[in-house]
Amino acid sequence: MTTRYSRFLSAFFCLFLGGLLAWHALLPDRDRSDVENRTLAQFPAFSWEGLKDGSFTQGVEDYFADQFPLRDQWTGLKARTEQLLGKREFNGVYLCGDALIAKVDPPRDGLEEKNLSYVSRLAERTELPVYLGLIPPAAEIRKDDLPKGAESWDQAAFIAQAADLEGVESIDFLSPLAAHAGEDIFYRTDHHWTTQGAYYGYAALMEALGRDGEVLEQEVYDRRSFPPAFNGFQGTLYSQSGVHWLEPDTIELWVTGAGLSITSWRDGTPKEAPLYDLDKLDTKDKYAVFLGGNQPLCVIKNSEGQGKLLLIRDSYADSMAPFLALHFEEVHLLDPRYYRYSAAKYAEENGLDAIAVVYSVPNFITDRNLVLLAQ
Amino acid sequence: MVFSSLTFLFGYLPLTLALYFLTPLRRRNFVLLAVSLFFYGWGEPVYVGIMFLSIFIDYSHGLLVEKFRDRDRLARWFVGQSVVCNLLLLGFFKYWDFLAANLSLIPGVDLPRLGLPLPLGISFFTFQTMSYTIDVYRQDAPVQRNIIDFGAYVTLFPQLIAGPIVKYKTVAAELVSRTVTSQDFAGGACRFTVGLAKKVLLANAAGALWESCLASQSAGALTVAGGWTGLFAFGFQIYFDFSGYSDMAIGLGRILGFRFNENFDHPYLSTSVGEFWRRWHMSLTSWFREYLYFPLGGSRAGKARTLRNLLIVWFCTGFWHGASWNFILWGLYFGLWLILERFVFKDLLTRTPVWVKRVYTLLVVFVGWGIFAMEDLGICGKYLAVCFGGGPLWSGPDGYRLRSWAVVLLLLALGSTTLAADLWRKMPERGRKALAPVLMALGLVVSTAYLVDGSYNPFLYFRF
Repeated sequence: MTTRYSRFLSAFFCLFLGGLLAWHALLPDRDRSDVENRTLAQFPAFSWEGLKDGSFTQGVEDYFADQFPLRDQWTGLKARTEQLLGKREFNGVYLCGDALIAKVDPPRDGLEEKNLSYVSRLAERTELPVYLGLIPPAAEIRKDDLPKGAESWDQAAFIAQAADLEGVESIDFLSPLAAHAGEDIFYRTDHHWTTQGAYYGYAALMEALGRDGEVLEQEVYDRRSFPPAFNGFQGTLYSQSGVHWLEPDTIELWVTGAGLSITSWRDGTPKEAPLYDLDKLDTKDKYAVFLGGNQPLCVIKNSEGQGKLLLIRDSYADSMAPFLALHFEEVHLLDPRYYRYSAAKYAEENGLDAIAVVYSVPNFITDRNLVLLAQ
Repeated sequence: MVFSSLTFLFGYLPLTLALYFLTPLRRRNFVLLAVSLFFYGWGEPVYVGIMFLSIFIDYSHGLLVEKFRDRDRLARWFVGQSVVCNLLLLGFFKYWDFLAANLSLIPGVDLPRLGLPLPLGISFFTFQTMSYTIDVYRQDAPVQRNIIDFGAYVTLFPQLIAGPIVKYKTVAAELVSRTVTSQDFAGGACRFTVGLAKKVLLANAAGALWESCLASQSAGALTVAGGWTGLFAFGFQIYFDFSGYSDMAIGLGRILGFRFNENFDHPYLSTSVGEFWRRWHMSLTSWFREYLYFPLGGSRAGKARTLRNLLIVWFCTGFWHGASWNFILWGLYFGLWLILERFVFKDLLTRTPVWVKRVYTLLVVFVGWGIFAMEDLGICGKYLAVCFGGGPLWSGPDGYRLRSWAVVLLLLALGSTTLAADLWRKMPERGRKALAPVLMALGLVVSTAYLVDGSYNPFLYFRF
């Protein structure tokens, strides 16, 4: 190597390391990452105690990684490289043609059995009829589209087991979703079902309640879709996988002209809220357009409806709620992750007629809050 | 801190290099000592004390050995004292809990377990500093009277936590005076990038494959094909991880003006187990040969003594790798093969075709990795039983695994041969000149992408 050439190589090396350091230093720190849906680490405050127990240096490392320039682009580059190497799994998400499907890992610590038993206990504790519906996500419904031989936990067997649970009526989401597997019932970049999928879910729930005669035909709804004006929807799987090159999703709102009143308990106090929070379409988490996203408790009232339903649920129910709202006098959506109160007591105190536990399978087998059902 | 972290690459390293090269030559050892202590204290600040203790013990013992050179018994006494101090340090932090747990199995004995975190690189730096006093005694190296220079040797951050084990005599001259040419810097930077890519791109990919096979084992779904895939994946993981780390250390050393000895020489091309150990972690093998095997008498004192010495050395080699029975078993397993090669297979091996010998060596080595990788001997036994026919041959997930990792496995296999180096050498000068910056950029950029993507990147040898 000539001296000139080695100087060039050395300068190149130093510029890459030093350049990114300078960039990092000059870049203003961000509070949160929308793509990752979390707050980002800030530079830790120094303390001798923190230095001694290692939390200070760990904090610096977290800060350095979280505030790294072009964080999302690096992740995308990694996913592209993996694709080039022939991988079809990206951080626990399978790339199946033009869609992403989250892998479902087997449950741990027997949590799935425990959670089933909590639902049984709920049925024992209350006089009201209790329904259990487990929603199979894309990994089950689109099993055949997964890479050949790719592992994903067998959810159908578990759903069948749950259907036989003593004292509990079952809601069959699997059959209608499987029957419509060819339609766009799941988002391609998000783990939730689409409004189309939620419609089939609503029909299944009504059937289980013995009210299938009331189910509205799909044609009744005025479908409004929100893609281009809102940059499209790039959901949780887009973030998790780093696969950034798929066509964004479209969110459809199926609207009817019924008058509803909705009360949200986001912070412990009741507040008037819309069925669709259109401001959320400007954010990254566009699925939150339904009812405005995660909340401890939400009550939808419709003076023309019949019956009062308590829905103990995860976020899949957000997009199903607008359908249900048209039929019930009251629908109470309760999320046990945030609402820490006995479900049976809540139902009694509020004069409800029925309790439905509606969860997607991956959430049901990993949620550690369902113990509240047994209280 | 580990080399394959964003904080090291884009924080510590550029700042350290800037500070180092802006400092006048005669103050550089002081800078090295300071930045190395900072590097060491990053993870466990309290353990910087161990560094000071280690510097003090070996510095003073070196002087004592030199002072009493004419009184051999006293000099030997001080050498012994230094070795005992180092071994006590190592024994206390690394082996106490293991010994206490096993001795407590004896009725009536109940020793407390301390659960102390293992000081980074303690297995490496205690071995390095032991070599110093011994070398001074043997007059293989001059005594070091400047405690700053000596401290810089003990704490030198490139090889501090995962080797290579740099003997004092290797760097004694460079410690006092060294120059860094731009060729050194550029060569070191290239070597560092190669090591980084080996660790981040190849070793981690192989590690993920190994984890996947291990998960099949715990789910009770391991097949013969999956078992062997796992053993090969782990063998590649540890090779690229460890040799990648050595490359980075050697590269950084060159940038700073030191020339460390090579630590790996394509070990998976070896044609016997003995040759494998002359090409794998060479600095450790040669350390044991020089400071344990030869002093014990080596192979010059008859068959029985040779046998004893081999077993001692391989027990120690295994135990050095970790305070657990599987490492001891792993060491003895190799000891056994080496004894067989020396006393039984000798004539047979000379008559065997090269490719058969390579396959034989790889089989021995990769089965050995199984013992190395699984600390729980129960799990290890079951895993290896499946590999040797105690399970179904093949299942659906094996196909998926092999398809997903086919390109990676090919890269791993080719990467452990001399192919890349041969091609590079045969390339015309102009081609190399054009390609070097491209490859360097590619290595740095893609490695950065993987590091940003993965939050956690432990070195396998990180806690040794």
